Amino acid sequence: MSKLSRRKFLGMSLKAGATTMFAGMFAPTATSLMGFGGIAQAATKKISPFTFAVLTDAHLYDIPGHKFDAILEKAVADVNSISPPPDFVLYAGDLGQSGKEAELVKGKRILDKLKMPYKIILGEHDYYLDMGKAWRGLFGEEYWSFDHKGAHIIGMNSILVDDFWTLRNLTPVERMGYMEELECNQCGAWGVQAKQLEWLEKDVKKLSPDTPIILMTHSPLWDYYPRWNFQTSDAPEIHYILRKFEKVMAIHGHVHQVVYNTIGNISSAGLLSTSWPWPYPPVDLPYPDIKMNRADPGDFEDGLGSHRIEIAQNFDGILNYRAFSDLLPDNVKRGIII
Amino acid sequence: MNNLRRFTTTKNLALAASLLLPLIMMNNANAKTPFTAAETADQKERLMTAVKQGDDLWHNPKLGSNGLACGNCHPDGAASNPHTWPKYQTNLGKVSTLRDMINWCIAVPLAGKPLALDSDEMIAMEAYATYTHRGVAIAPGKDEQHGAVPVTSGPGYPNANTGNR
Repeated sequence: MSKLSRRKFLGMSLKAGATTMFAGMFAPTATSLMGFGGIAQAATKKISPFTFAVLTDAHLYDIPGHKFDAILEKAVADVNSISPPPDFVLYAGDLGQSGKEAELVKGKRILDKLKMPYKIILGEHDYYLDMGKAWRGLFGEEYWSFDHKGAHIIGMNSILVDDFWTLRNLTPVERMGYMEELECNQCGAWGVQAKQLEWLEKDVKKLSPDTPIILMTHSPLWDYYPRWNFQTSDAPEIHYILRKFEKVMAIHGHVHQVVYNTIGNISSAGLLSTSWPWPYPPVDLPYPDIKMNRADPGDFEDGLGSHRIEIAQNFDGILNYRAFSDLLPDNVKRGIII
Repeated sequence: MNNLRRFTTTKNLALAASLLLPLIMMNNANAKTPFTAAETADQKERLMTAVKQGDDLWHNPKLGSNGLACGNCHPDGAASNPHTWPKYQTNLGKVSTLRDMINWCIAVPLAGKPLALDSDEMIAMEAYATYTHRGVAIAPGKDEQHGAVPVTSGPGYPNANTGNR
């Protein structure tokens, strides 16, 4: 299938609102790369190929020698062992569990063992005790962008909610307690909110449409399962701002699982945590072929892992989930196309 | 044949009729229901109190010693798979119940002290896990991970909004 006809075909299927119908046919695994070239569009601009690694969701506790410390250490060692070394590492949020400075300090001490530079964003577990104060003191800006070998890489804070605590007279610890629960039904839907949308608009204004964009957020940029904040409320606005680009590669933490979706020019992949895996929520997956196996609760490393992403000259990306245990079905083991 | 012949005696027919009579009456539209509306409302309320208590325990790290709660891995009771028990559980090495598995999770991933199997706390945890899977077909031994019933708002079960959870 030629590039043009595939694009047309997908455009039609999007308009018909029947994208999931074609999911099986175009399951964008490395296997299907041979046949279909994957679902993600290649960009026309040629860039220098590179690799980077991604870690996320360590959920460190302020408890000495906690089991999650060792798993983050393992993930860092795993990334350091990749040859050739990735150019940089991205960290997709929830370094801590209860937003305590001690958790974030411990996390930074472990992440600082990475042999390559890393960039990090916030998760809700890092934020709602002191509204990000300790985190900003350790890591700096909540949202940022940089250019690397022709690609433009963006990190944003997607876990902002409207104030639910003032009227209830909640203490910071109580506020954090609410947010710590995935199924918090008092906290509301997360988003990046107006200030970051304005910033994003300015950030990408001068970039040409053929610029490859990599965008990292804590939560997915699509309505997966809003109940668990497997969503970003202003994702439609983000999609609108980024609509001019040929291809946007979005990666996100928070879901603690293998999951994939593509909407228009944005392909989106979920990441493995280094704390615990989450079961799939009670909704149909848009790409049911791209999922992980059930984790063994007796194996504390099952369901967890690190990631390596390989970017080709034409901005084809392959995401390798580096699961610490026997988690991945064969098609995902070979990597998925993003 | 002897048994059959014996069953057909007049005496046994009368006995069978007396046993069947209450069943027939229960199917009669005019029969009295087993419980009054007030009684069933009270039963429901008591069940929901247990579900709420189970929900609170499910999300309480005090059951363990490492900060984790059941809800860390099982939001909304997901993947507790209450409809699949009893089943042979490999890590327990025997045909087990959901309560056995809850205790294993408290003892191993949470590094806590198991509950008495007949304690109010354990029954409340079972009530919560089961209630979040209401309507799911019972399938003992089924190898399935279930994401619990879809929830759009509230705590996942009917309750008065206390503003706490």
